Amino acid sequence: MATKKTVKPLLGPRDERTLGQLTGLADGVVAAADKKRDPHMDIPTRALSNVRYNQSKKILEMGANTTRRQLFNLSQAKSFMQTMLVASGTKQLIDQGKTTSIRGLFYLLKHTIEGTREETFADQSECDPVIEDTEVLLGSLREEMHLYAQKRGDMVGQLVLTDQGDEIDCSRMGSGGYGIPSIVEPETIRFKKCDARFVLHVEKDTVWQRFNEDKFWRKHKCILTHGGGQPSRGVRRLLYRLHNELKLPVYCLLDNDPWGYYIYSVIKQGSINLAYESRRMAIPGARFLGLRSKDFERCKLSDSVKINLSDTDRRRAKQIANYPWFAKKKPWQVEIKRMLANGFKLEVEALISKDISYVTEEYAPARLKEKDWLD
Amino acid sequence: MAASQKEISVSEFFAKNRHLLGFDNPRRALLTAVKEAVDNALDACEEAGLLPEIWVHLESTGPNRFKVGIQDNGPGIVKAQIPLIFGKLLYGSKFHRLRMSRGQQGIGISAAGMYGLLTTGKPVKIMSKVSVRKPAHYYEIQIDTKRNRPEIVNGRGEGVDIPPGQQGAKAIEKHGIEWIESDHGTRVTIELEGRFHRGRGSVDEYLEQTAIANPHVTLHYLDPEGNTRVYQRVAEVLPHEPREIKPHPYGVELGRLVGLLKETKAPTISQFLTASFSKVSPAVARQICEQAKVSTRASTRKIGRHEADLIYHAIQETKIRPPSTDCLSPIGEELILKGLHQVVPGEFYAAATRPPAVYRGNPFQIEVGLAYGGGSTAHRVTREELAELLGQSDARTLRQFLATSFEGLGLDSADKILAEAGAKTRVSPGNLKPKEIDRLHHAMRSINLSDGQTMNVLRYANRVPLQFQAGGCAITQTVTATNWRSYGLSQSRGAMPRGPATIMVHMASVWVPFTSESKEAIASYPEIQKELRLALQAVGRKLGMYLRRRRRVKHEGERRNLFLRYLGEVARATSQINQADQKWLHDQLLAVAKHRTAQADVKLDDRGRPIDEEELNLGGNVLIVDPADRIAEKINGNGDSSNQTSER
Repeated sequence: MATKKTVKPLLGPRDERTLGQLTGLADGVVAAADKKRDPHMDIPTRALSNVRYNQSKKILEMGANTTRRQLFNLSQAKSFMQTMLVASGTKQLIDQGKTTSIRGLFYLLKHTIEGTREETFADQSECDPVIEDTEVLLGSLREEMHLYAQKRGDMVGQLVLTDQGDEIDCSRMGSGGYGIPSIVEPETIRFKKCDARFVLHVEKDTVWQRFNEDKFWRKHKCILTHGGGQPSRGVRRLLYRLHNELKLPVYCLLDNDPWGYYIYSVIKQGSINLAYESRRMAIPGARFLGLRSKDFERCKLSDSVKINLSDTDRRRAKQIANYPWFAKKKPWQVEIKRMLANGFKLEVEALISKDISYVTEEYAPARLKEKDWLD
Repeated sequence: MAASQKEISVSEFFAKNRHLLGFDNPRRALLTAVKEAVDNALDACEEAGLLPEIWVHLESTGPNRFKVGIQDNGPGIVKAQIPLIFGKLLYGSKFHRLRMSRGQQGIGISAAGMYGLLTTGKPVKIMSKVSVRKPAHYYEIQIDTKRNRPEIVNGRGEGVDIPPGQQGAKAIEKHGIEWIESDHGTRVTIELEGRFHRGRGSVDEYLEQTAIANPHVTLHYLDPEGNTRVYQRVAEVLPHEPREIKPHPYGVELGRLVGLLKETKAPTISQFLTASFSKVSPAVARQICEQAKVSTRASTRKIGRHEADLIYHAIQETKIRPPSTDCLSPIGEELILKGLHQVVPGEFYAAATRPPAVYRGNPFQIEVGLAYGGGSTAHRVTREELAELLGQSDARTLRQFLATSFEGLGLDSADKILAEAGAKTRVSPGNLKPKEIDRLHHAMRSINLSDGQTMNVLRYANRVPLQFQAGGCAITQTVTATNWRSYGLSQSRGAMPRGPATIMVHMASVWVPFTSESKEAIASYPEIQKELRLALQAVGRKLGMYLRRRRRVKHEGERRNLFLRYLGEVARATSQINQADQKWLHDQLLAVAKHRTAQADVKLDDRGRPIDEEELNLGGNVLIVDPADRIAEKINGNGDSSNQTSER
């Protein structure tokens, strides 16, 4: 893992800052060792207990609570070591001016601990949370650590942008669409021309395909995105930029189930796990277009599209109803209660049972026209 | 019919029923002969106040024939007594008295002689020397089984005197016996039919166990293959001499009472009671008489069956103080530890001596010693010894051979060893090829036996090892009935606990209640079982504390290992970020780790030693041995442990 002593790439001001943070972390360990103290790091807690809902900004913010991670604590020793490894990996990436995926970093850092048969990281799922810990610990964003995640989500619509200098016309993307990269910062992606009037975000690829094939975005002058379930940070950041820089309203078409509600909540307020990123990702103006729990009757769907709620669903729905950012919204309380009363959930695909293009030709246009959405 | 009715002599009876005395098969016979002779020798030395030194010499004189020679450094036996002691069954000094001694009935050594005569036709040869100034006597004795009388064969029925010096040595050689030059002592030589073997129930085992329970004895053992083994004494003091006591009234049965009444010289019943029994004062005698409605001044001559019966019942109902217990001579906790440590390898030793108690009016005392850790004999056996054992074994299968030849090795472990060695279970031990023996030997050394190893129980009665009938013995029964799980050993219900443990249990009593004449199992009186249980629990508690402690220290060690494992990574990652000196950082972190897990560290530096008194307060009579020291000890070949062990 020796760093190549070649020409040092130019460091930007953000890199300088990240390096400063990394050195601070390492110096803390050295200082503790020097005083024969137990080295520790205080990592901001990434849990509901440490998340605050900012009423005025209407976003989730991370609280001041920290969790101490000690080297000489049986249950924390390994994660301490892993955190230091991630930090050193980040340092290498910055020094060499390269970026890698979080999976790449996992492979960079994975090795057998000397004199044992134990691996530093057993698998990537062990590495990813440590990377997030390091992000909050350093107060740096993932891209500042020269890391990116797997690309997820696609975009199509009335928008022209440049991605690392390449011009991309999102209205000429065929059936596949433009894959939304993990890092969509202005350094990488610049908006050039936008004819769209709004953004429609759908939950999954299947629904997105339907809208794309029916050229919904052309007819309604919009941008169509999907996040493949829970949207990645790249997708959320892009939506944020579209909303704030191009002043486009964002509408979400998600499943009528607790999972769909939570996706909406994440887009709107930010996630609990990554509350520190809300400021640059949350879109308090995002709207929930559907599906609604009343749609079963409203659209006269057949019984066969019902999916019974599981116990987990019910528990989750009650949890969501109690989130402070939902608790005071009466329409949402009604919505969740109704779903619980229904005893079933609905996927967007359920609308296909009416007609293949029902969702694009009738459902979505009607909702938009009626301005029938939840906020 | 009447013509064929005649008296049976004791000797004749036992000649026909020799299994009652432990001469049922040639293997056992050899052991019994050695055992009786050694027990007698030890008793003789101790009674004379001499530190015993015993020579045991086994020599093969033909197929299945052995010459057994046992010599002691005792006071010697006066000329007139020799024939009676060695040539008459049921002749002895020990039967009629109530005093703790090894032999009891006076059958043993003469029965061995009789067995020798029956199987080989050779007389018992006895040489005894009383003092330097007097010549040694030499007798060749046969027992006349019909009349239970000794017959002296040599010197026209008078025996011969062997002069000291060269001349004497020649005479000794001529008679086919050995004599280790000594100022005084006795040597018995018996030639008998027997079979020599090793392992369980062998002479080796008996002598080893004797050495454990008699740390004041030096034993020289020369086996038929010419190997010498010496058990050096670890205690220079004789156990205090047990006092003879009168019987306690509670222990006397009606028949015995009547007998005593007949024998007594006391004129009145009150005097009889106070004179014949212990703990009966005139006041107590009066109470008994009142209870029995017999006058205290009634003449002993006039007491009939009916009155005797009344007195017997009155005794049971009268409160009489328990017998004095100074007639017992326990080994003592300290010597148990020394004895065990000398013979049984281990890392932890504990001992407990119970206060004396009484069963049926007989005082007794229970002592328990425990050794934990150390390998099984199966681990220690050498390739040559194993081959030899295999050759001698008459076990039908290899599995059986393993289970019977090695202590603390059960059938489970035997199966494991066989699986490891890739040997067939049913193969005969004698038919192994050298390569297979190699494999077996390797497997025996490599298999972790402590899982399947069961506790090895050494039983003793009045310092004599009991080697047979383990199942019927109160000691074994109590060991299995004790719950060892709470002391850190695993144990199935009603089975021996598992683990590398050896436990010795000693019952000292003026009269040990054996279940049979061959004196191999102690009868289960509730009083005895209770004392056994309490003693076992006492050592068990200490073992439990030690094991818990060890487990904790092990945990601490693992903990430190865990830290150590990650320190290198942390140091490297850190130095990669801020160019700190990786080695310095590592050392520094290591120092912190050591400090943080100081407890584990102390243990590592000085393994096995108790660390601080609050932490491990085992009380007295515990010996903890560092396994590393044990190896060193083996290399140095000295058994002296005082400087390497901490005794608390």
